[in-house]
Amino acid sequence: MKFRAMLLALSALAALASAPVRADDAKPYAGQAITVLLPPWGTLPKTMTDRFHAATGIDVTIQTLGWDDIHAKILTSMVAGSAPADVTEVDWSWVGQFGSAGWYLPLQDKIDAKVIEDVASSKIFRADGKLIGMPYSNDFRVLIVNKALLAKAGVAAPPTTMDELLAAARAVKAKASVAYPIALPLSPSEGTATAWYLLTKAFGGDLFSADNKPLFTTPDSAGYKALAWEIGALKDGLIDPASTGLTDVQVQEFFKNGQAAIDLAGWVGNLAVYNDAGKSKVAGDAVAALMPSAVGKSRSFGLPEALGVPANSQHQGAAVAFIAWWMQPENQIEAYNTLGDLPTSTAVLKTLNEQGKLASGSVLLQQIPTVEPLFANGTPGWYPQFSSAASGAINQAAKGQLTVAQAVAQIAKEAKQAMSQ
Amino acid sequence: MALALPIIVTMGALVFYPLAVTLWDSLHRVDPMRPGTPFIGLRHYIDLVADENVRQATWNTLVYVAIAVLLETVGGVAAALLLSSVKHGRKWLLAAVVLPWALPPVVNALVWLWIYNPSYGVLNALARTAGLIADNQVWFNDRPAALVLIALVHVWRMLPLTAVIVLAALQSVPGELYEAAWIDGAGPVRSFFSVTLPLISGGLAIALTQSTVFAFNLFDEAWILNGTSRDTRTLLVQVYMSAFQNLHFSYGMALSALVMFVSLAVSLFYILRIQRTTEFG
Repeated sequence: MKFRAMLLALSALAALASAPVRADDAKPYAGQAITVLLPPWGTLPKTMTDRFHAATGIDVTIQTLGWDDIHAKILTSMVAGSAPADVTEVDWSWVGQFGSAGWYLPLQDKIDAKVIEDVASSKIFRADGKLIGMPYSNDFRVLIVNKALLAKAGVAAPPTTMDELLAAARAVKAKASVAYPIALPLSPSEGTATAWYLLTKAFGGDLFSADNKPLFTTPDSAGYKALAWEIGALKDGLIDPASTGLTDVQVQEFFKNGQAAIDLAGWVGNLAVYNDAGKSKVAGDAVAALMPSAVGKSRSFGLPEALGVPANSQHQGAAVAFIAWWMQPENQIEAYNTLGDLPTSTAVLKTLNEQGKLASGSVLLQQIPTVEPLFANGTPGWYPQFSSAASGAINQAAKGQLTVAQAVAQIAKEAKQAMSQ
Repeated sequence: MALALPIIVTMGALVFYPLAVTLWDSLHRVDPMRPGTPFIGLRHYIDLVADENVRQATWNTLVYVAIAVLLETVGGVAAALLLSSVKHGRKWLLAAVVLPWALPPVVNALVWLWIYNPSYGVLNALARTAGLIADNQVWFNDRPAALVLIALVHVWRMLPLTAVIVLAALQSVPGELYEAAWIDGAGPVRSFFSVTLPLISGGLAIALTQSTVFAFNLFDEAWILNGTSRDTRTLLVQVYMSAFQNLHFSYGMALSALVMFVSLAVSLFYILRIQRTTEFG
């Protein structure tokens, strides 16, 4: 009996002694400090970073930079051989460049497979089969309209075709006293190019064939029609002529101020911002609608943003722990509520919609299955050069320096040049 | 020699070594998206000649250089003469003239971005008030206007430097020479061309050189006022796009080397020309 009692006592002591060991196992990177480099919409509030610290014991410092500046900082740091941060923004459009350069840690074996599967847009961040980023912001495009202005113009329901979209804009201009009803950027910037890609899908086409041949150069092609539609709307006075000098973020101000009724370049997360009375004059009136289509089937494409770990980060384990933590449902929901980052987890989106907390939730869940990657085989390394050429030519066409035919020919020529370099 | 050693080491480490590495790398394919850095000789330089974006950026840059050098020189000399003739409060006037130069270029460009804004910019308001336009203009939709407006912002920032350099040169001209010229019957214009200009030619050469080099290196104003637009893109913007947007580092290096050599050649032309004029004038 005494022997058994002694064994029990020893077992209890062993259990007590091992308890701190198990706690350390739960926080294997406790005491480490990581830096995270993200744009403003990825800057987590302190309450969240404090919770991360409590859960992992890792100190996190978030550095905020403009989206374009982050790209430049990553390039210069990686070329210099130093990590720009332990975790950085990885935009969908950088995947080809960063993947080819081998700059980012493959995450497919470091993040739970079920989590990766639940985040459908993670496919966009694979380069040569390697997952170089986990999406945290589920950006895709939908049509966003001001329902009050449409109603004032006698438009009962959001447009479903491109012709209806033009008709609705004309009605708003005529009856709702909105000088330029369509918010669309036309400056030489990324938002101008992505709006054209979206409209190309709306006209039922794609930019490139499977072997990267441009599909937008003939008048019957979707890309040609999309650009002609944009230039026509501009000439008809439906788009502000000053848009030739404005980016997507700047034209979104028109929508926020009630100076535009149709946002063709807005990302879904903007719905939360548009309906926030502290940030917008049209709160309560901004609703999403399925992207109109000229061919009867709504289509959209994804522009998600992800978190990646530079291959030369000195704290890779802690950095991966940070990404895994962000992927947890409660953290995705809090990031949505505080920053407007639409969750990337399909399960979280469904939960939010069931709870009635997802702005225009039913429309978003309807649009999500139609969301395609812009490049079926992954974003190529020449994408930034092509995109810059596209926005530049669209800008020139909008200023009347090029015809639509000349603009698409110029884009195709520069795309081929980008591919050959 | 021992006294010159620090500057030789500093220049060697910070200027000549990076320059040599840049020139050497421009003869290779340095592209982080592709393995290896093979030697490709003058391939990049040949491609640059055929690149339409580079040709357009070259033309834009030459327009900026022409406008900037002309206006900065004429305006700078005029401002220096004015400052030189002011007897009271010159230091306050000088401080006011120097202010645009003291502002960071990005801040300067952002101020002008507001002035040129098509919806609420001061330029539209002034032009409407003066009856020059009926409706607000989108100034950057017109290429010649855009080039001139961006060049003016650069001139606004750099003219004070020319004025200060010329003012320093003016202050070294002995007053007796003007008195002698006046006794000989020379008026202000004749005095300027026969006395002032030859004696400030050294300072003027420095002013012209800095104007040219800075205009060739124009970046902030074009980038902030009109982004990557081909209408107003400069050679340095093109270098940035090649190297840091498209990740073709050595292509960007080749272009930056060309820009440097051209701006140095033009500057050398001024210096030799002015030296010759001074020697035989």
